[in-house]
Amino acid sequence: MFAVIFIPNFSLQSVLRHEPESRGKAVALVDPGMPKPAIVQLTSAARVQGVCEGLTASQATARCAELIIKPRSRAQEESATEVLLQTAYAFSPNIESTAAGVCTMELKGLGLEARGETVDQWAGKIIEVLGQFYLEAKVGFGATPELALLAARSANPILTLQSEQRKNDSAAAIVESFPVSSLEPSPEILEILQRWGICTIGELLALGKDNLAERLGPAAVELFHRVSPDSPRPLKLIAPAEEFSEQMEFEHEIETTEPLLFALRRFTEQLSRRLELIYLVVAEFHLQLGLASGAKYEHVFKIPAPTGKIAILFRMLQTHLETVRADSPITSLRLAARPAKPEAQQFGLFESTLRDPNQFAETLARLTAFIGSENVGTPQLIPSYKPDSFRMTVPEFENSSRQRETKAGRSENSIGLQLRRFRPPLASHIEFREGKPALLRNQVFTGPIVEMRGPFFSSGNWWDSGRWAREEWDVETSDGSLFRIFRSPDGCFVGGVYD
Amino acid sequence: MPSANIIQLRQLLAERFPGLRTRADELSGARHAAWPTGLAQLDEPLRGGLPKGALVEVVAEQRVSGSALMMTALIHRALGENKFVAVIDGQDSLDVTHLGEDLSRLLWVRCRSTDEALKAADLLLRDGNLPLVLLDLVSNPAAQLRKIPATTWYRFQRLMEQTSAVCVVMTPRVMVAPAQVRVTLRSRFSLSALEREPQELLRELKMEISEARRFGDELESKSA
Repeated sequence: MFAVIFIPNFSLQSVLRHEPESRGKAVALVDPGMPKPAIVQLTSAARVQGVCEGLTASQATARCAELIIKPRSRAQEESATEVLLQTAYAFSPNIESTAAGVCTMELKGLGLEARGETVDQWAGKIIEVLGQFYLEAKVGFGATPELALLAARSANPILTLQSEQRKNDSAAAIVESFPVSSLEPSPEILEILQRWGICTIGELLALGKDNLAERLGPAAVELFHRVSPDSPRPLKLIAPAEEFSEQMEFEHEIETTEPLLFALRRFTEQLSRRLELIYLVVAEFHLQLGLASGAKYEHVFKIPAPTGKIAILFRMLQTHLETVRADSPITSLRLAARPAKPEAQQFGLFESTLRDPNQFAETLARLTAFIGSENVGTPQLIPSYKPDSFRMTVPEFENSSRQRETKAGRSENSIGLQLRRFRPPLASHIEFREGKPALLRNQVFTGPIVEMRGPFFSSGNWWDSGRWAREEWDVETSDGSLFRIFRSPDGCFVGGVYD
Repeated sequence: MPSANIIQLRQLLAERFPGLRTRADELSGARHAAWPTGLAQLDEPLRGGLPKGALVEVVAEQRVSGSALMMTALIHRALGENKFVAVIDGQDSLDVTHLGEDLSRLLWVRCRSTDEALKAADLLLRDGNLPLVLLDLVSNPAAQLRKIPATTWYRFQRLMEQTSAVCVVMTPRVMVAPAQVRVTLRSRFSLSALEREPQELLRELKMEISEARRFGDELESKSA
């Protein structure tokens, strides 16, 4: 037995998936790729207002002033196809991507009966899950993929064409009542059949296979095969791509963060739910913003503790976007998620790890936003004799090994009081008597030097442009302060104060 | 003894507003756990170390009183215990070259003004992930420090109460009114101290410790 998930008006539903509030309104989809762009799909509210397929946008708006015209989006159709296939794959390992918005599944081996589940309950779950992704689906069951598709097209929202021998008659009766157009014959054959007055499948079958083949050729035989319960075709099985992305092209250029965040919130929800369906969480987000200038802004968000919590994921994106300045408006948005298995972490009694790495990552992003990345981080010492040599690195506390031996501790050259450095060093006037500093004058202190240690000479990088040399003293001034002063080719400075 | 109605009202308020502080909570007398600093003159009077979930103010009124020395000692102690440490450096003055080789558990926030330092402290205290937060305002200009509203410290105190972290605020004068513990450094080192071992200097640190029995009480002084 086969099941088919059918999404009516697939292109339109793909576009309206991120604006579910528009689904009840009069909306029509125009395909800009057609030689003469016309309406290809529309909502029932638009149909009630007299709009139909084939009208141009201006003709349609003349019939319905409130009509919302949406352009067809291949990118959003791709995302919706991903959602459809991934959802189907969560319910059956044997799936086929039959057409846009149509997915065929084989029920063999699923053991629904053993689980005490009826096919209607099973199909209800599929429809419910797709509903979470704002896709209205119909599910049909049949002995062959073609019959299942026929059932799905006519379902409301579930229809089963029973395959058991005892119910064959009733199944055949249902199929025979379907319009002949549901077999999707070629336009030429459909026109001939309509001129003959053949409206239903039952009337078509009554003509006889041989008679029809003689007059209309092999294409007509194919129509007979589609409704035959005895010739199931094998499925072209696929595994859905392990890519989880949502994308959108904006009708109007975006210049502020509010509409962008609105769309991102939806994307985050959708991606999180898609991963939840297969028991995974988000480990990384890849954000891509298409700009009107043609350039692209890309950023990768590594989630410190992979999670599926929408609030945490969205806050991370929001915090980052508050600091982003683009030189031109945004025209498209793409958010891709890299999945990972959820990590179960148990804290040890003597282990020290971050309680909430995601919260910390957000705090760090906020700190970086207002103080600057060069001023927030973990210092890493540079192996150099040059004073105050270090570089700032991004903290990786969540990766910090729990059991490692600590190397932290006083360095060997640490002796005496600690220095509070002036960054940059404070330019000073130092008066020297007999080669020794005797008087200090700067913003912090002006007065005589009463005691000193030094000079201490140091230099380095003489082999490159970063050459440096300095002559240092530790001095005590008349008010009892202890300073480190130095003389370099650039002048005299106070490097810091001891405390 | 409060009447039954009052007790009932308090229970109702506690259920409706879990974050609300009531006088009944304060009177419970439960003392927060302490973090031993390794400095005997600090740990002994405080019965185990610096209190967790409360503000500690270290006042360095005099020059060369050893505030940087004490801060470095606290950082060493925490890093040695594999703890994460945040240093909010109010005037970007921390000399990291003397802190050791592995600083991978140190978060250093280099601020240029008091405002920046307070905002950073607010964020990190709200975060609640780091067990030790050091806010160093000793080198910040007095004019900037005078502009800090007293409510800022009460807000920090409220944030601290929700965590088990230790927050040490180093200031050049008394300014953190809701501090649970205030340590006033009374040492005055001379140039000869630069040739001595830090451990020796730490043992010589003179401190005056004031501790509030509970939130809102006057601080009681002890000398060490």
